Amino acid sequence: MTTLISDLFTRFPYASFESKGNEYSLTVPPEKLYETASILKKNELVSFDFLCDIIGMDYGDSLGLIYRLNASAYPAYTLALKTSTGERENPRIDSVIDLWDSADLYEREAHDFLGIVFTGNPDMRRLFLRQDWKGYPLRKDYDASPEANPIPLENEKIEDMETLPVIDLNSDRKIEPEKLFEAGEYVVNFGPQHPATHGVLHLRVALDGEIITKIDPNFGYIHRGIEKMCEAYTYPQMLHLTDRMDYVSGPINRHGLCLAIEKGLELEVPERAQYIRTIIDELSRIASHLLGWGCMAMDMGSITAFVYGMRDREKIMDIIEETCGGRLMANYNVIGGVMADIHPDFQKKVKDFIPYMRKMLKEHHLLFTGNPIARGRMDGVGYLSKEKAISLGATGPTGRASGWRNDIRKIEPYAAYGKVAFDEMLREDGMTFDRYIIRLDEIKESLHIIEQLIDTIPEGAYAAKTKAIIRVPEGEYFSRVENARGEFGVYINSRGDKYPYRVKFRSPSMTLVNTLKAIAVGTKVADLIMLGGSLDYVVPCIDR
Amino acid sequence: MFQFSVVNQWIDEFLRTYLSEGWTLLVEFVLVALLVLTAYAVLALLLIYIERKICAFFQCRIGPNRVGPFGILQSVADMIKILLKEIIRINKVDPFLFRLACFLVIIASLCTFGALPFDGGLHAIDFNIGVFYLLAVSSLGVVGILLAGWSSNNKYTMIGAMRSGAQLISYELSCGLSLLSIVILSGTMQLSQIVEQQSDLWFIFKGHVPAFIAFVIYLIAGHAETNRGPFDLPEAESELTAGYHTEYSGIQFGFFYLAEYLNMFIIAAIAATMFLGGWMPLHIPGWDRINEIMDYIPPVIWFFGKTFFCVFMALWVRWAFPRLRIDQLLALEWKILLPIGLINILLMTLLVIL
Amino acid sequence: MKMINYIKNIFLGIWHLLQGMYIAMLNFIRPKVTEQYPENRGKVSPHERFRGQLIMPHNEQNQHKCTACKICEMNCPNGTIRVVTKMETDPETGKEKKVLDRYMYDIGSCIFCALCTESCPSDAIDWTTNFEHGLFTKSKLVQRLNREGSSLMKKIRE
Repeated sequence: MTTLISDLFTRFPYASFESKGNEYSLTVPPEKLYETASILKKNELVSFDFLCDIIGMDYGDSLGLIYRLNASAYPAYTLALKTSTGERENPRIDSVIDLWDSADLYEREAHDFLGIVFTGNPDMRRLFLRQDWKGYPLRKDYDASPEANPIPLENEKIEDMETLPVIDLNSDRKIEPEKLFEAGEYVVNFGPQHPATHGVLHLRVALDGEIITKIDPNFGYIHRGIEKMCEAYTYPQMLHLTDRMDYVSGPINRHGLCLAIEKGLELEVPERAQYIRTIIDELSRIASHLLGWGCMAMDMGSITAFVYGMRDREKIMDIIEETCGGRLMANYNVIGGVMADIHPDFQKKVKDFIPYMRKMLKEHHLLFTGNPIARGRMDGVGYLSKEKAISLGATGPTGRASGWRNDIRKIEPYAAYGKVAFDEMLREDGMTFDRYIIRLDEIKESLHIIEQLIDTIPEGAYAAKTKAIIRVPEGEYFSRVENARGEFGVYINSRGDKYPYRVKFRSPSMTLVNTLKAIAVGTKVADLIMLGGSLDYVVPCIDR
Repeated sequence: MFQFSVVNQWIDEFLRTYLSEGWTLLVEFVLVALLVLTAYAVLALLLIYIERKICAFFQCRIGPNRVGPFGILQSVADMIKILLKEIIRINKVDPFLFRLACFLVIIASLCTFGALPFDGGLHAIDFNIGVFYLLAVSSLGVVGILLAGWSSNNKYTMIGAMRSGAQLISYELSCGLSLLSIVILSGTMQLSQIVEQQSDLWFIFKGHVPAFIAFVIYLIAGHAETNRGPFDLPEAESELTAGYHTEYSGIQFGFFYLAEYLNMFIIAAIAATMFLGGWMPLHIPGWDRINEIMDYIPPVIWFFGKTFFCVFMALWVRWAFPRLRIDQLLALEWKILLPIGLINILLMTLLVIL
Repeated sequence: MKMINYIKNIFLGIWHLLQGMYIAMLNFIRPKVTEQYPENRGKVSPHERFRGQLIMPHNEQNQHKCTACKICEMNCPNGTIRVVTKMETDPETGKEKKVLDRYMYDIGSCIFCALCTESCPSDAIDWTTNFEHGLFTKSKLVQRLNREGSSLMKKIRE
């Protein structure tokens, strides 16, 4: 692989190249970006077919972009394709939307927060903020005063939301702004207040009878500016925000952020803490999958299944509450370990839980998996091919249901995952049923992981000693963990200060909504809701 | 066996001794109307309570348990609340149709309810075409649902109403066919005679396999007609929030709510009357001792026992299964239930002839 | 063959439906799992580590351990804690010293991240498991944690 990459990099004489372990980085001038990206995607040596994230940066004097690329054939290697432009007034960078399907929302996000215009992307609406927002919040010279953006007293006009802005400053001719929906289309708003959008997601759906012809997701209804807040927080203060992103798998997110900071500090986490973190992660993964299963069942009309899922999840919440002190917001991982040692009853309770959950899993299968109504609804709907899944960046169970090996726990075994034997659940068909069944299979596998770890938690300290004031050395740090929904990535840019210079979280849910947009067209209204359930996105993770 | 017709005759004679022919009829009409309306309201409250409690038990919960012992006054409290609630005026609705719709729904279900034989003599009217009347009037409700969906000027209600139309009209067929097989067996459409004919054995046993198949089909199709359970597409809450009655509030919504629960009862009651012998106790030919013991249980209790058994089946199904999609729903009707129903009628006819 | 499959599928479907109904009935007769909250008040409490509310423990002499070092205030991400100090002369030595006047805690903005209790050098603050925070007045969300007339515990002062 190393030789392949060095061979490939000889094709970019204009680029500067660095490597650190499995992380490669390539810096190119902005006008060469598209060319480089296109070669990286389309070459015959190693095709970087998975665009993991686009990180927008304000370096102070210039605006930059970091494209995090992966090759699905060699998932352990990551490539950061960097570019920056000194132009701040009217920064333009070529869009890579035709190379990767996931680029669409990422580019809109970078446009929204940094004002970079991607030429070639027709949809340059704001992604999270209102269309009439002034300024770009993640720029360092952003005016955050309330006078610049007073609290609006009127609703955002629906016309503004569906009008694609015209960004063509080079020509003087007037161009009619394009509308997303035509005048005669039967457009139904699903959300922001709707029982089945799993949060405050706003889907605008054009219908032909019951059949969906177009979907336009709108985000930002609960956007809290977590990335901006992080820039004003010290490293320990930042941690609590991650629990509030993907709130059903909070401990895993927090683990990801801790890993990134620990990488920066070069801190050795005690083995006991590693084990505890792994067990808590797997417990919250089970809880999250149970909720996902229940919600999908409820989206299909089976409220009883949802209650059963919640009932079993309650057992996990109880265990987590006893040890961590919080239920949903476990608040357990800290830099260098965990906040407190496990509760004396923890091991016993977990050991009681494992056989209970196995028994309940059998019941869940009897209640729902075999049900001909459920099978009839899931069969033949929502096909997602492997190539499409990689291109959309649909990581996690969704990608694995399409046959894409993307489990970070296997690719890059962090914490105690290297020490346990477990299988990466993989299915080939990419149908809704595969996405459904893979979650129940993963619960089984998680139970298997916990079973191996729970009796062998080593003695020792539960947290490494850290300084009172944590300063991460200058540099860029990536980390990624396997969230219950997919790859949760953290990027920290530090300038050696108490505060990070820039933090970016890669939310697995955002690409899942993009996936919904791709697979739900042509299905029926009822399927849209069910497909949303099968992808199992969590909206606060998108609206960071 | 105590027959309610004795009470009827006594009231009739009592009134006739004091009043003229016309006044007697008038007083009797008013009495009957009052009785039917009261029974309707009380049953609805009871059904709401039962449904909530049973649903809770299926879901590992306790259900209503705050108002009164075991929460039995919960639905009464809810009724008072719904009567006091404001009826919100919705902009840009078709006001006449919007208000008419909820009345149509409740009138249709009330008319059906009135024709049910609760006991020998305890029913408001005994048509000679009773079965036909029940089918005809109960399907009027769909007009109300369609109107509600259309006049609300809301996209969700519109989709709900359209689904409802397709669903009710399809399932009406299976309902009719399965009842028809019993009509073939009994040779009459009069409900009182159908019940009388089951005095030796209920039709579900008398009619052998065809009657049993008809019973199952009727339960499925009737369940679908009540817009509940796996067939609640018109109001599919995870898709259409509340379907056709999204825009209704206060007692207008209450009417839809009442009608929904009463329709469930009516379907169960028709099933009990046609297949399980209505108010007729269980009589097994030859076992005279047991038949006598059975006669000690009042017919009203037999009727409600059987009906609530059917209601329980409906609730069980409702809380165990996910919802169908519209194409599956129609496929179930046109590809499975209807062919089976037609073959079943043929079998039943052969059974009667031979 | 098609016909056989059609009939087989119907029976298979019914069999699976019956299995689902069996599971529902199984749960129908099982003991219920929901908790009866106001009734079981006091009987079932959250686990002892549960972070319900920040408190400042006092001993019998109405003394607390807070030295008013303000580390908690610095560590709090939301500005939930406000430590108000005053100067006081020590009666024994006659020196002026900064002591705690009021320890203000706004539970309305607290996110229960426990950075304050973790970072407190003298263990002056702690969590209780009280979770009933319902109030009718917003201003009551801001609580004073040190009691009226309380003073620093002797041991710490020496």
